[in-house]
Amino acid sequence: MGYTRGEAGLMLTVDFSKRNFLKAAAMLAAGSLMAQQPRGLAEQATRHSGNKVVLLISGGVRRQETFSAKGAANIPNLSGKLLAQSVFYPNIRNEGITSHFNSTASILTGNWQRVDAWGNQRPTTPTIFEYLRKDAGLPAGDAWLISSNKALTRLIGASSAHEYGSAFGANVVFPKQLLINAVEAAIQEGRKQSLSDRTKAQDEIDNILQGSNYEGLGWNVLDGTSELDPRARSTIQRAVAALIHGSGPITGDEFTYWMSVEIMRKFAPTLLVVGFSDVEAAHFGSYSLHLGGIRNFDRLAALLWEEIQTNDAYRGRTTLLILPEFGRDFDGASTNGFFNHRSDSESCRNTWMICMGKAVKNPHVEEGLVRHVDVCPTIAALLGGPTPNGMGTKLAGLEI
Amino acid sequence: MKAETSSVQYSKLVERLPITFRPFINEKLTTMDRLFGFERNSIETFLSFLEKLSHSEFELLFKPIRTVETKMGVAQWTFSREGETLENTSLLAHSPYYQEWRRAVQGVFDEVSRHTQSLASQSAENGKHRLILIVLPHSLPVKAEGVWGEWSGQGRQLTLQAINSSAASCSEILFGGEGESILGKAADTAGYSAEDMWILDAGSTLSKAIPAHGTPREMAQSSTYLSYDELFAFREAFRDRMNWIQKDLADADKVIGELRQTDVTPWCPEALKSQVATREFLKELFLSGNGSVVFGNAFVQWAANEAFRRARPTVLVACFGMRNKPKPFTSIAILEDQEHTSPLPDTADPAGSAVDAQILARYVWLAASRYEEYKDALCLCVADAIPAIYAIAPAEHNLFKEQEPMTVERVRQIAREWMS
Repeated sequence: MGYTRGEAGLMLTVDFSKRNFLKAAAMLAAGSLMAQQPRGLAEQATRHSGNKVVLLISGGVRRQETFSAKGAANIPNLSGKLLAQSVFYPNIRNEGITSHFNSTASILTGNWQRVDAWGNQRPTTPTIFEYLRKDAGLPAGDAWLISSNKALTRLIGASSAHEYGSAFGANVVFPKQLLINAVEAAIQEGRKQSLSDRTKAQDEIDNILQGSNYEGLGWNVLDGTSELDPRARSTIQRAVAALIHGSGPITGDEFTYWMSVEIMRKFAPTLLVVGFSDVEAAHFGSYSLHLGGIRNFDRLAALLWEEIQTNDAYRGRTTLLILPEFGRDFDGASTNGFFNHRSDSESCRNTWMICMGKAVKNPHVEEGLVRHVDVCPTIAALLGGPTPNGMGTKLAGLEI
Repeated sequence: MKAETSSVQYSKLVERLPITFRPFINEKLTTMDRLFGFERNSIETFLSFLEKLSHSEFELLFKPIRTVETKMGVAQWTFSREGETLENTSLLAHSPYYQEWRRAVQGVFDEVSRHTQSLASQSAENGKHRLILIVLPHSLPVKAEGVWGEWSGQGRQLTLQAINSSAASCSEILFGGEGESILGKAADTAGYSAEDMWILDAGSTLSKAIPAHGTPREMAQSSTYLSYDELFAFREAFRDRMNWIQKDLADADKVIGELRQTDVTPWCPEALKSQVATREFLKELFLSGNGSVVFGNAFVQWAANEAFRRARPTVLVACFGMRNKPKPFTSIAILEDQEHTSPLPDTADPAGSAVDAQILARYVWLAASRYEEYKDALCLCVADAIPAIYAIAPAEHNLFKEQEPMTVERVRQIAREWMS
């Protein structure tokens, strides 16, 4: 199954395989529920075999702590089994403003963005979500951004561009903000003891998902403004349970990972953007916590790839792209080395990218210099969308 | 020179400067009496040089900045001329010509430095021997083969004899020696002031290790002594106000402006209350971030960085220490205050703290090595957990002529002679 062009824009070609037939039958059994679903979700439920893209963007990591002789020890998965299956771009450059919001916005729009670094302004040119939703007919439930990065806001999901904008944007979820709000509420309301008991902590988190508390999360989920969509809530509650009762560390990225997995299992979005930021502990000046963040990123990237390979909706039709937003400043920089990402230096601007999955027919290294703005047109091409009107060009080395 | 006098004296000169150059100069002029001696002299030398330039020389010097300002459209910006603000920085950083602007500004400073020969080279010519002492206390588990491995051969690891007394650590012996202490010798020089010796402590290790220097209060009176632990009240009060900042540039500038005006004396340890420049230094240190309100080791490193930049001390001691492990849940929301907000007990993180301290120790040296004054400085790095010391010094230094293993007392004696 895939996308084909028709008079009404993008249409589906249907795969009548036994597996998909059984899934369709299961959907009919839940017919009464389906009738209440937003239009986009109902459409999405019938389109399981289209190409998909998962884009994983981490916070700033330098080459010396990752893809270097010494740094490889911090990323055994990325530099081992994942690299072996990938098209690896050792030189990808961020030529824009190396702040979190602008960097992520540049990757998503294919244009170097120069907007408010604290996320108070939308990107000025359309995001990949808007191209796919407006111009390629992708439904609302098919485009998600899930990120731990506190520097992002819901405005990252859609641009201020004329004829595009929030009507065509992504669902945006910041799992870490849910934890933050829960912890702050427990402390302010005299229940900090809850934070030493996992079950009570789970109750605190659930409480934030209810009613008016939801508005303070800064999310944008299925157009719900004052209340969270019930099916999204149950998905998120499963992610919370997985985090609380799992064996992994309680970190923002761990929660983002679980949230991403649950969203993939429930909504199977065609385009999923995942943002990790545990590495940003570097801003506090702890190198060991920064390295811990890198190791977590590596472990969770491998788990995400496993999920892609085991989830029927993704296996065999998904391209996974993994890249940092930028590097970090070099040791000895007046901007204080690994703490920050402000210097106009190779250490800060030049990083790497791994591409895996459907678009990789021949694992190899693409030595040439590529740019962050090349990611957006590449994703558009992978998903059969229009060619974005931007500064980037499709990446070489992939089967598109 | 008083701030008001400076502002008046140079007001006409400032009006002639490019728009984006004025906030930096204005801010220095209005805070002149709260600066350290070195930076006061630097700014006066800089402005005196500009005053002596002819009109054409002046315009030639600033032409690259004016050119890029035109391209940036600075004249149309709402750009504070009075002082540096986040909104100013944001406007500059969001311009596609930002890097060009930075190069143009750097070009001006480089050109002026070339002509004035800079205070840096003058003070270096004074023949002042400088000393940097970096301490990783016994609580930080490090291994002899790796602890200084990232220093790229800038110095040499020297083997020490085993210390006989189980009560003393290497750093205690190095700082000790009644009547023979290194720090005592450094303080015993003509023209010495507290700004010449900076003692930075991630905990309270140094107040125990430097008995010859007396109590923390006495240390603070004879040097610039900043202990992360003893600044607890200052940090708490400061952080509380920082948390008022919303994610908005104008609001951040407002809160930062208020903090700059706040009298922080009530938050200071007793000895610091009379040290105006150091009090202001702490404000700027915490405002500039870099983990200085969160972790003791980050505080020590960033304070050292800023001390070298702003005060060029003759002696700087940087002692690292322990941080706690992040706690589940609270560390995600409020890492900087998890000790008080989480009901879970604090747990020290010796291994993580050691990793942090090793790289930050190197950053202390890298910060010093940016300045001409420290070209021939003696830098001694002590890790109490291993019987070795890492030394950076000119190749002909006496320390490198000694037979190994050396006693710590001998290292102390050589360092003391170096300061004579």
